[in-house]
Amino acid sequence: MKAPKTYNDILHRNGRIFLSLGLSVMLLVPFTIWLVTGQMPDSAKLLEGFIALSILQLPGGIVEVATYGPMLGTSATYLAFVTGNLSNLKIPCAMNARQLCNTEIGTPENEVVSTLAVSASTITTVVIMGLGVIMLIPLSPLLNNPVLQPAFNWVVSALFGALGYKYFRGNLKLVIVPLVVMVVLGLVAPGFVVSTLSIAIIIGAVVSVIAAKIMFDKKWL
Amino acid sequence: MIFITPFAALSASEIKESWWMYALAIFVALFILAGSMYFALSAYRQSKRLGMSKDQVRKAIVSSVSFSVLPSLGIFIGVITMSGLLGIPLPWIRLSVVGALHYELMAASVASTGITVATMTAENYVTIAFVMTLSIMWGGLFALFFFKKYQLKVINKATSNNGKGFGKILFDAFFIGMICAYIGDAVAKIIKYEVRVIEDGAYILDLDGNYVTENKATFVPIIVMISAMGAMAFFDWLVRKKNIKWLENFSLALSMIFGMAVAVFLGMGGIY
Repeated sequence: MKAPKTYNDILHRNGRIFLSLGLSVMLLVPFTIWLVTGQMPDSAKLLEGFIALSILQLPGGIVEVATYGPMLGTSATYLAFVTGNLSNLKIPCAMNARQLCNTEIGTPENEVVSTLAVSASTITTVVIMGLGVIMLIPLSPLLNNPVLQPAFNWVVSALFGALGYKYFRGNLKLVIVPLVVMVVLGLVAPGFVVSTLSIAIIIGAVVSVIAAKIMFDKKWL
Repeated sequence: MIFITPFAALSASEIKESWWMYALAIFVALFILAGSMYFALSAYRQSKRLGMSKDQVRKAIVSSVSFSVLPSLGIFIGVITMSGLLGIPLPWIRLSVVGALHYELMAASVASTGITVATMTAENYVTIAFVMTLSIMWGGLFALFFFKKYQLKVINKATSNNGKGFGKILFDAFFIGMICAYIGDAVAKIIKYEVRVIEDGAYILDLDGNYVTENKATFVPIIVMISAMGAMAFFDWLVRKKNIKWLENFSLALSMIFGMAVAVFLGMGGIY
């Protein structure tokens, strides 16, 4: 095995080790349940469920790595593909930190900022989940309170609204085309957008990048 | 050894809240915590080597923590939602690793069509755990085997200056497209918002095996978005014009709280 040469090689090596361990830990859970209970999974149901979900998750997973990987950088990508919640937490978190720290994607400084952001976000989630479980009895009625329910139903809308302002300000030319396209798509095919938001995100991103490239080539930006 | 001695004929209700399921969940949480701390520490050391300012490092950490609190509470509510059928530990594990509430609920319903809390068997529970775990691993596997090559061949080219500077715009454009998709989603919900009905922590199916849904078309998400956007504009003005610099790291979290508060007020007025 060749020794790692660059800092990025080391990041990939460490990231792959962590990701391999992470996937193993994930697998450990159902296998432990099987081992402890002595109860095998229903193989027909397992296969059926695996195929049904993989039809969406296989292309979705590939597209997520291809699209979110560049935004996250090396270490944060490996970390995020173990800890999840990419589009609704890790990506906006990394992009927010990047904007606050004024770093450019692809630079060593942004690699640091993105890794710190995703790590800090993950630690926050783990701590909150842990505290939540410990305080489940007093917390449950509060979090399930019908008055507070709308707040948590729409937390992602609040997140992207706030972040939207930060990204739209100063990038108005980049906003017009994807905004019009996605609003029209939402009006024309609401069922499609709501039920397959992950695909709508890719459409929005691709439209935005194509429009930006055209504007860039025409020197409109 | 407990892990090599099968517990004879355990029921699903005994498994899902057993001490060893909690032990597994704690182990997973600690693993993720340790991994995150390792990456954070490595990045911190690298920041020193690069000569980055402490202020930049602090900004990245503080803003990310403050930013993540509310969405994390939202994720925890997912644990409570799923706990009706699956107990606390399995949803805690599943929502701590790669996955999301809608995916886990879908996995549960695909793996155990028509079962309820009362009828769920140990076999159903094990099958659900396997389906949830195996079907979501594709992204991780792809990252494991192809991300490095992809980064070297595609990303580095896109971000290098040989690309005549478009690399700098590329990712802003990409993220703006992503935000616009969420705006499109909020607009779509004004017209049609089919919500799958959840009962006892799982989606329910009708007699033909289709998900039971309700149309809950609503203006609330777009109002919440615009409110959070307005709040962010206000906080941004305070930071830039009134020079209240400490607010910078918290403006996003505070704007989210404002947007969420608007949702609560609308709910109190009967608008959901």
